[in-house]
Order: sequence, then C-alpha cells, then structure tokens
Amino acid sequence: MTDTQRNHTHHRLWLTVSGLLIAISLVVSGCGGVVEKSNAQGSVATANGGTLTYALATSPDTLDPHRSGLAVSVRVMRTLYDSLVVQTADGSIKPWLAESWTVSKDGKKYTFKLRKDVKFHDGTPFNAEAVKFNFDRVIDPATKAANALALIRPYTSSKVIDEYTVQVNLSTPSEAFLGNISQAMLGIVSPTAAKQEGEQFGKKPVGSGPYQYVDWKDNTSISVKKNPDYTWAPETVKNTGAPHIDGITFSIIPEEATRIGSVQSKQVLAAETVPPQNILALKNSPDLQLLQANTLGLPYTLFINERHAPWDNVKARQALQSAIDVNAIVKTLYLGTYERAWSALTPGILGYDESLENTNQPDLTHANNLLDELGWVKGQDGIRIKDGQRLTLKYVDGSPNREKRNDIAAMIQQQLKAVGIDVQVNITKDISTVVYQNGEYDLYGNSQVNSDPNALSAFYHTAEPSARPTLPGLSDPQIDQWLEQGAVEKDKDQRANIYRNVQQRINELAVIIPVYIFPYTVAASQTVQGISFDYLGYPLFNDVRIGG
Amino acid sequence: MVQTIITRTISSLLVILGSLTLVFAIFYLLPGDPVLSMIDPTYATPEMIENLRIQLGLDQPFYIQFGHYLADMLRGDFGVSMVNSDPVLPKIIANFPSTLILTLASTCIAVLIGVILGILSAVHRNGWIDILARTIGLFGISMPTFWSGILLILIFSIQLGWFPAMGSDGISTLVLPAITLGIVGAGFVIRMVRNSMLEVLSEPFITTLRAKGISRHVILYKHALRNALIPVVTVVGMQIGEMLAGTVVIETVFSRQGIGRILADAIMARDIPVVQGVVFFTAILYVVINLLVDISYTYIDPRIRRSLT
Repeated sequence: MTDTQRNHTHHRLWLTVSGLLIAISLVVSGCGGVVEKSNAQGSVATANGGTLTYALATSPDTLDPHRSGLAVSVRVMRTLYDSLVVQTADGSIKPWLAESWTVSKDGKKYTFKLRKDVKFHDGTPFNAEAVKFNFDRVIDPATKAANALALIRPYTSSKVIDEYTVQVNLSTPSEAFLGNISQAMLGIVSPTAAKQEGEQFGKKPVGSGPYQYVDWKDNTSISVKKNPDYTWAPETVKNTGAPHIDGITFSIIPEEATRIGSVQSKQVLAAETVPPQNILALKNSPDLQLLQANTLGLPYTLFINERHAPWDNVKARQALQSAIDVNAIVKTLYLGTYERAWSALTPGILGYDESLENTNQPDLTHANNLLDELGWVKGQDGIRIKDGQRLTLKYVDGSPNREKRNDIAAMIQQQLKAVGIDVQVNITKDISTVVYQNGEYDLYGNSQVNSDPNALSAFYHTAEPSARPTLPGLSDPQIDQWLEQGAVEKDKDQRANIYRNVQQRINELAVIIPVYIFPYTVAASQTVQGISFDYLGYPLFNDVRIGG
Repeated sequence: MVQTIITRTISSLLVILGSLTLVFAIFYLLPGDPVLSMIDPTYATPEMIENLRIQLGLDQPFYIQFGHYLADMLRGDFGVSMVNSDPVLPKIIANFPSTLILTLASTCIAVLIGVILGILSAVHRNGWIDILARTIGLFGISMPTFWSGILLILIFSIQLGWFPAMGSDGISTLVLPAITLGIVGAGFVIRMVRNSMLEVLSEPFITTLRAKGISRHVILYKHALRNALIPVVTVVGMQIGEMLAGTVVIETVFSRQGIGRILADAIMARDIPVVQGVVFFTAILYVVINLLVDISYTYIDPRIRRSLT
C-alpha cells in the first residue's frame, strides 16, 4: 500500500465526519429558524385573529360534559357549551340561554323562558326540547353520567310548555339548583349530535358555545375554532359576540418543567397550574404575566375518620388540630403563593364564616394535655401507649404528589411525632379502594370545586344506611337538620346564616383540618389579553385578544 | 436454517402468549376495583357499580375472563378504553407512527454517536479521546432519561431557544427527545464497539495483515471494523427494543404523541384494556425485532450459519 492510498482512506474518514457535522449543524440551524419564525408570527398578529395556545396540565377524559369527571375537561368544555344560566362574581344568577325564569311557590317547579336566536354548531336549533333532552340525558343510567348527576339532583323531569318554554321539576326544593345548572358539566349539548354519536359524543362534541370543536389528538392537543355566529354570551364576559381570536389549541403537557418551559420559550402563549416554586420567578419575568383565581367550594381539607377509635372522641380530634401547624405547612410548601384555609368552605362562597379565621392556632401543650387526659402515655420511643396499644394514625394520600399533597403528609408525620402520635403514611393511586371502599384511613384529604355551600351535604350529612359513608363518617343531627334547611331556604341571608352555623359546628366537633385554598394559576405571554375567570375559578376565553 | 427460523418463531409466539398472560394476571390480581376507578365513588350508587361490573364481564371467574380476552385478541378486538370508550386498536395504530419515528431517530443517533466514538475510543486506547468517549457512554447509560430530557429542555429550549420543548409536529420537535433517548443507546453501543474492536485488533489475522505491510488505516477501517461490527448488530437490535420502552418516559416529558404516552396515561387511570392492548402490541414488536436480529446475523456471520446447519 502506498502513501497516496493511505492518505486517501484517511481523507475519506474525515470527509464523512465533517459531512456529518455539517448536516447536524444544518438541521440545528434550520430548526432554530422554525422556532423563531413562529415567534415572529405571534408578535406580528393584530388585535383580531390568531390562535391561542394554552397548555393543560392533564388530559381531559371526555368532552361530553355529562360524562366527564375531571375539572381539567371544564377548561375545554366551557368554550364549547353554554348553560341555561350564569353565576356572576357576587354569586347571583343571571340569564344565559334562558332569558328569564320563575319558580313555583313550593320551590319544586322552575319555568324557563329560552332565547330564540340560539343555534348549535351543527345547525340544530336550541329550544325547550333540547333542554328536556339534556336534563333527561343526565339522569338516564345509560349515559353513565358522573359529576353532572350529582349536580342535577333533585331533578326528576322536564315538560315542554311551548317551543321556547320549559318547565323543570324537582323532587324537593333546592336553592343550589340554579347555581348547579350554571356549571359546565350541565352544559347544553346538541341533541342531534348526542343521539347520533352515542358513546362517542365525547370525541365529537357539539354545543352552542363561543368556540366549536375541531379535533383531538390523543394526549397531545385539543383544538377549537371560533363560532362566527355566536351572539349570546352571558354578562360575565365583555364580548357578547364571536371571539376575537380564530381559535384555541389546548396542548396537553403533564410534565411541569416542560409546561413552564414552553411558555418561557414562547412555544405556547399560556400554561395552567404553575407550581409555587415557578410563580415567584415568573412574576419577575418581563415577558410574562401571572393570572390567579382562587377556586370556590371546599378547600383542601383533611377529614378525620370518626369511625375509627380513638378519633371517635372529640378530644383526640382536637389534639390533632392543636398539634398540626397548618401555617407552617402552607408557608413552607407553597412559599406564600397559596392561601391557607380556616373553614369547611372557601372564602367567597355564600355563607363563608370569616369569624373562623385565625382560630385553631397550633398549641402543643394543649394537644399533649388532651392526649394525657385520654390516658395515652408516652412510651420509651416517645410514642403514646394505652392498654398496650400504640397511638397510630393512618394517613392516606393519593399519588402522584398533586399540589405537594404528599409533602403535607410528610410534614404532618413529623409534627404529630412531637406529641407522641405515630403517623403511618400510605401514598396510593388506588384511593377508590383504600378510602372509599375499605375506609382504611384515619386522615384523608380532599377538595371540591363548587359554587354552592350545599356541597357540604356530600361530606357532612349523615349518609343513608345503604349509601357509602361520608369521608369524616360524621353523624350529627344538628348538622343534618341545618344542611336540609340550607338546601331549601329561599332567603339569602337566612341561608348564609344556616351555613355559618354548619361551619361553626363542624369546627366545634373538630372533624376536619382545613389546609389550603387552591389558586388556579395561569402564566401567559404579555401579548395575551382578556383571559378571565368564571365564578368557580375556571378560565373564560370570550374576551381573549393576541397582539402587540 | 429453516428449522432455526421455525423454532425461533414458535418460541417468539410463546413469549407473546406469556406476556399476555402476565399483563392479564397482574391486573386481575392487583388490589383495587377497576369499576370504582371508572366512576366517581362519592356519587355512584352500589347498583350502578354492580351494573357496570356485569357489563364489563368483571363478575366472571378468572379463567372465563382470560379466555374471552384471548379470543378477542386473536380476532384483533382489543376492546374499548374504560375512560372514554375509544376503541383501543385504532388508538394504537393512530399513535404508533410517532413512536416509530422517535424510536428510529433515537436508534440512528445511538448508532451514529456510538460507532464513531467507539472506534475512536478503541483506536486511541487510553488517550484523551478514549476517556472522553467512555465518560459520554457512562453518562448516557447512567442518567435517567426524564432528568436528561428536562436538562436538554432547559438548555436548548428555554435558554437558547433552538428547539421546541414539546409537541410532535415536524422534525424540530424530534431533535431533543431523540437525542435524550439516543444518548442512552449510544452509551451501550460505544462500549460494545470499543470492546469488540479491541478484541478483533488482538486477533492473529490482524498481525498477519500487519506483517504483509498493509497500512494501519486499511487494517482498522476495512478489516477490523467489519469484523467488530457483527456483535454490534445484536446490540442495536436490542437497543431498538429499549428505545421503544424508553418512549414511555420521553413522550411524557416532551408531551409527544405516541403509544408510550398512551401507556403511561392508561396505567395512571387503570384503563386496563388500553394497557393490555399497548403491551400486547409492543410485545409483538419486540419479539419480531429480536427474531429479525437473530436471523440477520446468521447471514452476517458465516460462523454462526455454519454452526447452525
């Protein structure tokens, strides 16, 4: 072999390598160009038009409002469906698809006069028949309705009076009813499409909302486009007509770092559920804005299971309340970005009892005294013992670490150790079996978004013998009576008083430890204007504009 | 030769059947009630729960459920999702191309980086380039992909703005996830190529070639490399399977469409038919790839072919 040959081979290798390098750098620069171009498009867009890209933290289960069980679906469903009525910021009920309504004296018949100019996206006219179809669909077992079923109670039937008048019948009066039908999960679907698509309706949703459905790519994105015919928005938004923008693409980005990264790198214009550690950083970013709305209903609350000794004794429960430093937990974990909760209800809801704020301060001496009184004596390892039994507490929490709830468990474990309680934390995905079926918990936390204080009933009213027990397993005749009264009381002030009583009584009985109020947090580009929030804290996109 | 293919095929079928049984049994034996995870337990009445159980056939004994399940699978009926009633098979088929592209791109990156660095590493044994290549290999193998993925997003998406952090439209969205996954594979390939190169270089025929006065480069890149690449084919084949599995994490981190993402979500939601469908589908793929690799290197390496006949 000659030198020339040797050089030749040598050359070929380096040619290949440098060729590859050039190819790679071409790909890199080419791709960089793509991203920059899309940025430019975003900032050039005028006040009208453009597409809002909005990152969701989890995937909706279905876009069939009556069958959905997830709050995340509501973000999308609120763009597709309208409701009969709307609840405004002060909690009052205003017209939407229904122009007006009357309630019978016994509170069991609601007669709605409907708008005559409303059409579903598929052209089906909206009328009394459509309302009847929708409400009957929710209670039809074949629909397998989820949360919608709970919301529509005590609905029994509807009667079409004339084309634009419908009478809705309830089995018992309910002051929560109008608020409940304002929710997206009782949004009105197109009867034609719902009948035609059957089980698949959730993947081909048709409503009468400001946006209409385009497509859904599994786990990736859901797109909606503007409904140009829309003229029937409720008074909670400024723009009564069709949206200013062309559409919305909801990207599904479960990984926190990727979701926040996508807003920072301008790949999406807005992203929901910003983790506390990012909130502070984003607040200081000049290109981004932070939008926050506290959700309404039941705050994240730890329920003490009264069905298990020793927690059936009020003193034992009070000891827990005194030993747990909720302030420390909320400050440490949420860095001042979440408000702590004091009551069984969140602020802002009818009847919220402000007087409970700043009560139940941590008091270790008090906690120790109560446990001493009950005869639990500290053993050698610092854990209390009575009749040979160690004082243990089963703390169940769901997986994954949603809103740092697993960390709350860890902190409580430490705090309760100080008063001699051995906390056994069980973090499991299978809440339905462990908590709801087997009741294997002493402490379990939950929250619920709701517009009406009547939501307390599902958690604190004595469960019927055949039904599943409530989370605290509470049975208090006084609370039961108030909750029943509250459901039917027509006088708003009276009603508020009743729920204040309930909250105070729950506090006296020490069945819960309220922890935090969840703020729905959105990070958005400065170029996005007009994202607003409804009464429950869900985003509304009617007024959105994208522009300079 | 034909006999080999037949026995391999039969054993492959057994592997598929085994994985099916395993997935089915795991879900059957897992504590917890799939029906309860489908409807909100706060509101459902016991009657509703029971009806749903009967409707899903979950009230039947194990062997009947398993029998129905096998029969359905054989007919190509993968059932419908428990979460939203979507048929499972079309869901898999619609999402598969995206996973396939990611897998192939990652494999290409793994082979490209792996072979180049592996050769350089062996040729410059114990030099700085060898140390560098081995460090990169070790890094690739030991770093969890969700971590390196997020690291790449932080650097190349947020800081530099070169590539998108998420999505599955276009080549630009493919780069970061493919590199994340490719680096892992590259780690294995680097090691394999390096070891195999060093082994070949110490064989007598290389000495003979040297004695004949053939240049070092020709020996290295023509004779040694060709022989050294044979075991690499196996590693690459196995890597394709690994990459396929790796997409479960990567597709979630980068919010890509794909069957890995579907699987991750279905597991979280206890959506049993979807989990079973995806596992069955990937088991078939895995087995087919391995079969092809086995068959292919009987062609590549005459020694194996001879030993088999």
